[in-house]
Amino acid sequence: MAQSAPTGKRPVTRVAITVLLLVAIGGTLVVPIYARSMPKLGDFPFFYWYQLILVPAVAVLCWLCSVLLRAEPTAAARPADDGEMRK
Amino acid sequence: MSHVNTVAFTIVVVSFLAVTVIGFAAARWHPAEDPMHLNEWGLGGRGFGTFVSWFLLGGDLYTAYTFIAVPALVYAVGAAGFYALSYTILVWPIVFIFAPRLWSAARARGYVTPAEFARGRYGSQGLGLAVALTGILATMPYIALQLVGIESVLTVMGVGGSSGNAFVKDLPLIIAFIVLAAYTYLAGLRAPALIAFVKDALIYVTVIVAIIYIPARLGGWGHIFGAASEHLKTVNPTTGKPFGSLIVTPSGEWAYASLALGSALALFMYPHAATGVFAARERKVIRRNVAMLPAYSLVLGLIALFGYMARATPAVNAGVKAHGGNSQLSVPLLFEHMFPSWFAGIGYSAIIIGALVPAAIMSIAAANLFTRSIYNEFFNPDATPAQETRVARLASLVMKVGALGFALELNKTFSINLQLLGGIWILQTFPAIVIGLYTSWFHRFALITGWASGMVYGTVQAYRTPGGGQAHFGASTAPVFGHVIYIAIAAFAVNLVVAVVLTPLFRALRLPNGYDETQLSQPSADPADGSAATTGTQVP
Repeated sequence: MAQSAPTGKRPVTRVAITVLLLVAIGGTLVVPIYARSMPKLGDFPFFYWYQLILVPAVAVLCWLCSVLLRAEPTAAARPADDGEMRK
Repeated sequence: MSHVNTVAFTIVVVSFLAVTVIGFAAARWHPAEDPMHLNEWGLGGRGFGTFVSWFLLGGDLYTAYTFIAVPALVYAVGAAGFYALSYTILVWPIVFIFAPRLWSAARARGYVTPAEFARGRYGSQGLGLAVALTGILATMPYIALQLVGIESVLTVMGVGGSSGNAFVKDLPLIIAFIVLAAYTYLAGLRAPALIAFVKDALIYVTVIVAIIYIPARLGGWGHIFGAASEHLKTVNPTTGKPFGSLIVTPSGEWAYASLALGSALALFMYPHAATGVFAARERKVIRRNVAMLPAYSLVLGLIALFGYMARATPAVNAGVKAHGGNSQLSVPLLFEHMFPSWFAGIGYSAIIIGALVPAAIMSIAAANLFTRSIYNEFFNPDATPAQETRVARLASLVMKVGALGFALELNKTFSINLQLLGGIWILQTFPAIVIGLYTSWFHRFALITGWASGMVYGTVQAYRTPGGGQAHFGASTAPVFGHVIYIAIAAFAVNLVVAVVLTPLFRALRLPNGYDETQLSQPSADPADGSAATTGTQVP
């Protein structure tokens, strides 16, 4: 997934998006990070509360990526990208 | 039908009727000028905004079978079943990467299915056919499993399951499917899109109430995890090993990660997922949804925990045992024993309607595949939009009858085996579709050979895997190079290696490249927002 960030964007944005997405993917895929029972949160072993908290965390990371893409001048200049109903 | 729970059953019937009315009314929801067009019937007019798309995709991807099977797996083996949560977390960043691009490519050329993209990108009818057939083949058992989900609820409600007469036993399922087929035929994708609102509302209500109410009744989460841990530690007499573990063991980490990754990569290769994406109005609708759809993953994670709640409820354990150890019944039984009848009825309705929405979308998606990549491509290249729509409607009926036959005639194990195979097969279309979005380096014949190798390897490997009392198709994981991993990932690796090795070879042999009609490789034509595109009336 080397070409993860969409093409035609500023390099800074591309790097930022790639890093955010890699964090999101790595945090899930590297199982040894969370295959443990301590520390517990209430009665929940780490394995469970880590993954449950990871869900909103990944959502936020993806949301940041979409904000980064929207903030791109090239993207903003495209009327259709911000336009409402298009036929 | 001696022990029918009347209150719960009445609530289920009423919600089914309500959904039926909505399904038929959907034909008049934002009606199209020309309803006899595949963009209308098969993609709901390609005009769904962020809000509707969220319900549609959520209702589509998180199926009733998931709601039954994931907690059932957690109930049986513990932590290993939680890969489903990892998978539905992992899928969103991956989708963020490629789905907007796929949407643009499809919008630019008026594609209704991913198979058309593969065909157009590589100028290869064979590749398009391979992708379409894989999609149809993988979807049929998936629809059948939705019926298995409905069946488990009906069994617990005491409807049908106990009757000796095969026809009476299956009657509720048959009626539900005929009604579903009727409004899908009429309203197309608009029907499941509207019903998805009801489905999701019921699911969210059930899950939120259950996650607060049941642990309180069971004596708290400490007790629930304790009871689960105690069971998982006991030794399974048939295998001589513990049933499972509360935390993934080091030896299980590869299986866990590869199942999550393989399932995440495969999910959007399924035709019904692509249909949900292609029906979006604009590219940004998809990106926004990627940030919002994890709400469903959270629900799935909570539903997975139902498995432990069920384990901590002695009455559920007794009920599962009484039904021959069928852990698929654990969630319906949990509702039965923990909720008052009326709320159990809400929970059952959530699962049943949760089966109807994906079943409808899957049959529409498979019908789109058949129409565009088989009927159009090989039988009637000059089909008018109206002809296409008629063929697609009929194909959706055939898909549903086929799935019903699957569910009723073949035994359940067979459907589950096929669904397991379907996951392995569908991932083999990944190179042709997703990698094709980024590079046209691969040679079309190399991709077809790679696909075929992955299909054969995956099928053989799954056949040779014993487990769960079966000699074949016993598990979705198998040892490869010293690690137990998901067979789909191993097959995917075979697929890629073959395609990479053969591409330069075929180029050296001067086998002709196909004509790339998508023009994706030309920067000027990069359909970043689809603005330069026609909105897809022409058939390529």
